[in-house]
Amino acid sequence: MSIDVKPETPVTAARIPVGRTRGIGVIMLVIGLFTALVFGVGSGFSAHSSLTFNPVSLTNAPWRVGTLTLLTAWSNVVLGLAIVALGVDVLARLPRRGVMARFGVVAVLFFFALLLWAARTTGPSQINFVNLTAVLIGSSALAMVLVFGSLSGVMCERAGVVNIAIEGQFIGGAFVGSMVASTAHNFFLAAIVGALVGGALGLVLAFLSLRYLSDQIIVGVVLVTMLGSLSSYLNLQVFTPFPQYNTGNLAPNLPIPLLSKIPVIGPVFFDQTGFFYLMIVLVALVSFGLFKTRWGLRVRAVGEHPQAAASVGIKVIGVRYANVIMGGAIAGVGGVAFMASQGQFQPGYTSGLGYIALAALIFGRWRPSGAVVASVLFGLSVYLADNLQTYQVPVPTEILGMFPYVITIAVVSGLIGRVRPPAADGLPYKRD
Amino acid sequence: MPEPTPRRSFWARVTGQSPFVVTLFALVLGLIVGAIVIVTTTAPVLDAWRGFFSSWSGPGHALKVTVDNVGAAYRIMFTGSVFSPATLWHAITTGQGWTNALTPISETLTYATPLTIASIGVGIAFQTGIFNIGANGQAMMGGIAGAYVGTLIHLPMVLHLPLTLLAGIAGGVLAGSVPGLLKAYTGAHEVIVTLMFNYVVSAVLLYTLLSTALQAPGQQNDIARTLDPSAQLAPLFGTASGLRVNYGLVIAALVVLFAWWFLERSSLGFDFRVTGANPQAARASGINAKAVIILVFAISGGLAGLAGVTELAGFYKTLDGGFLVGNAGIGFTAITVSLLGRNKPIGIVWASLLFAALGVGGRAMQAATGIPLDLATVIQSAVVLFVATPVLVKEIFRLRTSPTAALQLATKGWGS
Repeated sequence: MSIDVKPETPVTAARIPVGRTRGIGVIMLVIGLFTALVFGVGSGFSAHSSLTFNPVSLTNAPWRVGTLTLLTAWSNVVLGLAIVALGVDVLARLPRRGVMARFGVVAVLFFFALLLWAARTTGPSQINFVNLTAVLIGSSALAMVLVFGSLSGVMCERAGVVNIAIEGQFIGGAFVGSMVASTAHNFFLAAIVGALVGGALGLVLAFLSLRYLSDQIIVGVVLVTMLGSLSSYLNLQVFTPFPQYNTGNLAPNLPIPLLSKIPVIGPVFFDQTGFFYLMIVLVALVSFGLFKTRWGLRVRAVGEHPQAAASVGIKVIGVRYANVIMGGAIAGVGGVAFMASQGQFQPGYTSGLGYIALAALIFGRWRPSGAVVASVLFGLSVYLADNLQTYQVPVPTEILGMFPYVITIAVVSGLIGRVRPPAADGLPYKRD
Repeated sequence: MPEPTPRRSFWARVTGQSPFVVTLFALVLGLIVGAIVIVTTTAPVLDAWRGFFSSWSGPGHALKVTVDNVGAAYRIMFTGSVFSPATLWHAITTGQGWTNALTPISETLTYATPLTIASIGVGIAFQTGIFNIGANGQAMMGGIAGAYVGTLIHLPMVLHLPLTLLAGIAGGVLAGSVPGLLKAYTGAHEVIVTLMFNYVVSAVLLYTLLSTALQAPGQQNDIARTLDPSAQLAPLFGTASGLRVNYGLVIAALVVLFAWWFLERSSLGFDFRVTGANPQAARASGINAKAVIILVFAISGGLAGLAGVTELAGFYKTLDGGFLVGNAGIGFTAITVSLLGRNKPIGIVWASLLFAALGVGGRAMQAATGIPLDLATVIQSAVVLFVATPVLVKEIFRLRTSPTAALQLATKGWGS
């Protein structure tokens, strides 16, 4: 995380210190051995795990897929050994790039082994199968919200403004989204209003931090506090006496013809709400815009070296205003999307998702594509933390609940590699 | 060219450079924001405005209803947190009912006690250039540790109370050290780490309340055993007085003294402030940056832990799942208090008295008018937003602006 370049260190040195890469390799080895021994050998060699693939609602699944039954112990030993192999590879070659990607693969393998272990037949759980499609659908809803949040972060931080208020924009978007969706029964309108509210919050952040050079992090955190208490106030003052403004409203799924009928992939990617498709379009747009267009070059210049950007005639302040407002709007839509996946607004139910999105942004190295990968991992871990209890895993609920937060801490601590933020990120800029 | 100083008006001289004036105006702006929120969400007021054009008396009626509602809310906020002139006059003239008259101020002091301690901790971190947003989790950890010692160990008060308080400090130091060590050795930005740690500690709280010996015997819910009387902070004026203000006030006073001495007189405090003001200069003059980060988190966390255990031993007496959750989360209020008090011990005392009054008054307002307590938090965050942008406040009120006052960086981006 830190870009402290000590005088004695040449700037051309490897960005990821060798010691840290080695540490990541060792962590992978430990995870691999744990998987092979505890989830594999530990579950006994007579246990079976079943995987099912049919979605819960079968209307769009004309082709049923059979159940895949695996020997729990051997499958997990194989998965564990695969993780060990990846760890050995990292330790042996000490690669400069791609360590994070490998860690992502390790995380996915580990989650898979965990699910197999939790659903073993002679285990404690009444449920003796894992519906893989349901797991993927459930975590995709969370991952989608995180992608909205981290895209918002990409937009703001690439232009050099730290947007910690993502959580606040989520709350604002979710609140007005529920109100509009309940009264107008139109999620498109809800998304537009959510974008307006998120954009307005972005404008406040931009106004205070660009015009008055206030501390961006403090303004962001105070905005989150304000939105949290304001939404709780309005919830009591408006939604409690008028519950018809906050009725349960799940966004309808918009299945794409034919594609949605593909087993597993169809329900996860092509039978989703409009917000999901919007997210995919946004990721493509932001990715293309930032790295392939003149606009993106300007934004990145402003985020890396505002003085240099200004000297070639780019309006630094203007670019920052535009990006922070657009980023706020994206996060506002994310709030509406979250509300639409939960059904209604409740105070405090975003429970730190905005901050986890920030961590996903850091894990994804300030790139939309990386943010998507990171959001999928975080979404999976949040979903599993919420839902593993149904499998009666012998770990207390409260400890499982820590899971996403601990992973976030590990990620921002750079245990998973060193990252470099845009050079002018969070620094105030003065024209003269 | 010299400034023509003699022409400065009285207004300009009063409002010249003092940060106190900006704070005062920020408070006014915050109350205006609160009033706008009340007006736009209270049904009778909105109804009155709807009748604005319906009759000749419409505008007057609308204004009257607005002023009545906002006035009632803020009046009850004041009488519920400081004193009510009527009951005070009654107590003075008849010599009776002093408990009634003094309860509001006692409640404010009770609430301000842990808030001051936690805010001092946050303020010391701010002065070092570190944003400790995890004070709430650290206070919670202090409360958990204090509850263990206060309920499961039985000792005479001389030993038990200090031991409980020390356990609270230790809990806070523990929760504060993790982000500190991570920041020092991996460069992890403290904002996200401490924030996430708040959620981790919330999970720890539930776990200890539901699955360990701390849970009250025979309980299924998240309620702990009650603190032994020997581990509680007694009411300052005796139980018979009916006033809840307790000996925690003495602890808070000692903490303020300690913080003043530490920041102004000790050499470690000097190192902290140099690091906060100019990290490059600090490194050049041989200050060990890593040690400073670890120590400031330990001290800040320890104070937050002390705040948590003071809150527990002086106020709640029994730990439960709602400890420091939501509106009771003093660790979050402490951030705003510290910013309002400009991270200086004396400023923090005034700021925490003000915010405690807003909180206590907000509760009275909720009880009397039904306007939710969260309004107090909205006002608090608005005040801090304005305090963080002094130039904006000065522009709104046409105060003299000093060009140097604009750039104040308390924290740094991910890159540092």
